[in-house]
Amino acid sequence: MIYFEEALRVLFANKVRSLLTMTGLIIGVGAVIAIQVLGSSMAGAVNGALGNMADNSFIVAPNGVQGNFRRAAIKLTDITAIEQDVPNIEQGIPLGGQNFLIQNGHHQARYFLTPDSSQPFNDSPLLYGRRFTSSDIADATNVAVISYRSYQKLFPHGGDPTGRSIYAGIHRYVVVGVLAAPKRGFINAQFGGDITIPYTTYVNQYVHDGVAGAARFIVADASRMNLTEIAVMKQLKVLHGNQKGLQYQTFDKSQLTKGINGIFGVLTIVVALIGAVSLVVAGIGVMNIMLVSVTERTREIGVRKAIGARRGQILAQFFIEALLLCGFGCGMGLAIGLSIGWIVNQFAIVKVTGYVAPLPWVESLLIAGAFTIVVTLAFGTYPAYRAARLDPIEALRYE
Amino acid sequence: MNNQTPLAIDVRDVTKTYSMGSLEVQALSGVTFTIARGEYVAVMGPSGSGKSTLMNVLGCLDRATTGSYRLDGVDVSELDDNRLAEIRLRKLGFVFQGFNLLARTDALKNVALPLFYAGVPGRERTAAAQRQLAEVGLGDRAHHKPNELSGGQQQRVAIARALVNDPAVLLADEPTGNLDSKTSEEIMALFATLNARGRTIILVSHDEGVANHAQRIIRLRDGLIVSDGPPAGR
Ligand SMILES: Nc1ncnc2c1ncn2[C@@H]1O[C@H](COP(=O)(O)OP(=O)(O)O)[C@@H](O)[C@H]1O
Ligand SMILES: [Mg+2]
Repeated sequence: MIYFEEALRVLFANKVRSLLTMTGLIIGVGAVIAIQVLGSSMAGAVNGALGNMADNSFIVAPNGVQGNFRRAAIKLTDITAIEQDVPNIEQGIPLGGQNFLIQNGHHQARYFLTPDSSQPFNDSPLLYGRRFTSSDIADATNVAVISYRSYQKLFPHGGDPTGRSIYAGIHRYVVVGVLAAPKRGFINAQFGGDITIPYTTYVNQYVHDGVAGAARFIVADASRMNLTEIAVMKQLKVLHGNQKGLQYQTFDKSQLTKGINGIFGVLTIVVALIGAVSLVVAGIGVMNIMLVSVTERTREIGVRKAIGARRGQILAQFFIEALLLCGFGCGMGLAIGLSIGWIVNQFAIVKVTGYVAPLPWVESLLIAGAFTIVVTLAFGTYPAYRAARLDPIEALRYE
Repeated sequence: MNNQTPLAIDVRDVTKTYSMGSLEVQALSGVTFTIARGEYVAVMGPSGSGKSTLMNVLGCLDRATTGSYRLDGVDVSELDDNRLAEIRLRKLGFVFQGFNLLARTDALKNVALPLFYAGVPGRERTAAAQRQLAEVGLGDRAHHKPNELSGGQQQRVAIARALVNDPAVLLADEPTGNLDSKTSEEIMALFATLNARGRTIILVSHDEGVANHAQRIIRLRDGLIVSDGPPAGR
């Protein structure tokens, strides 16, 4: 269309001016989109990391703020009592960990040995073998499921290690499963233990004072998790004689997710504020330059009117000029924002979290499009209206 | 053309008063005349006599303060701005002293502009503009920008632009005022040719030599017609 052709000609004839005017939009849109890309990839990374965490269980532990920590420590007997008395509890698993030099012949490394159940805390996929069965739990067998990195260290020649034995101090465990390689990055790598054994075995071999400290409970109905958590904490207080100052706390996946989403909610508000401010600042720049453009071309507008251009046609011409100016600015902002987001994503977030987030193309395009439309409408309309309203004779006489 | 209204222009008791604060300037003090289709009229008079004001009224760029004006059978005195724009687009072609071409825009696109405003599709636009340029003798300059053309050539482009919508009347306010005498002669010859092909032309000039090309001269003084008739030489 001729309006676009003419507007392009004008914008290119004043390259420097057009570019300077667009700077506000480029920076504003670029910043908003970069933050948007980072926010969405962080959210993706965190959700990806939490994705392997079982959502039918919660952890309960004494709250760190209380005076007498030992008095509140969860005992094995507490766990069995809760299993029996609190509804919706399917299984209680003591938490813990023992640092050992784990050996397979002369291949060895230090790892934490941790208890787990047949319903694992970390349900990431398996590379080899299986998880614990309920009979492993019931019979407290000497078996182990090992992480991918410990597999690489202990079995450097690769191959299926199931059926082979590893040693931790005086104890021997038969490897029954190997977890698949986690996505790169420390969040995933730290998640869950490296060497897990059935919790019954763990209790037999390492818990001699009957104190677990903390526990994980698997619930039957995850939708009633919150109520169950409250009931468990209440029951723990009862079991510990309702002494003054006793306090427990729980963690579950939805709590973590909620907390993280809260952080992203704040981020979203910050982005919206930056966006609004840069929108107004950039818009004023656009309006200014469009008014200059209208004034400079007063005579041209007079000629167009003398030739027979209607008001609407003059309005359209300047409106489209403003639209293109905003469109180019926002387009460049989009490109820059996506590039910055992509670079930070590649070189920081992926390194840290191991999660490769897809670029939020649609959202970014919508943001850039919305900026273009809003700024054009809010700040391009008045100059175009001024041009359309000019009196042809006065405009023609303008020097 | 519409043969029931042989008059291209019918002006009665037209006045134009400019008010600048408390001061009122009467640029036209009541002029009445008609111009038939196919006539070639020159408007003459000393500076400040109201020639340009009259042309602006005739060109529907400005409204008369009082009086009536019928253009090609249509009473245009009471039309709103958009209807006036439509009249300028369809029935009038305007040629200015200063050419008033769009800079940075080649001759062809300048000539095609009125067709764009008239809603003619792109390809037809280009063809018609090219034809019109050829008619004013610039068929080979279609892609030259105004600053690559001489004054006379620019005025030819402006004339082509004024004619491209096939207007009922061609108005020219001192079209040779910025040109040397040889180029002026060429432009006047072009007007003569256009008139010979039936175009109605009204032209302002303060140069007797130029005005003598016309069939009829209307002389103004202080906003009034002081004489109206064929050039003295004929
Ligand atoms: N926009 C205006 N405001 C006030 N006075 C004007 C305006 N335009 C023209 N005039 C006055 O009207 C008179 C006629 O002007 P004009 O039609 O331009 O004369 P010409 O073209 O014959 O030289 C002059 O006295 C001029 O000063
Ligand atoms: Mg004049």
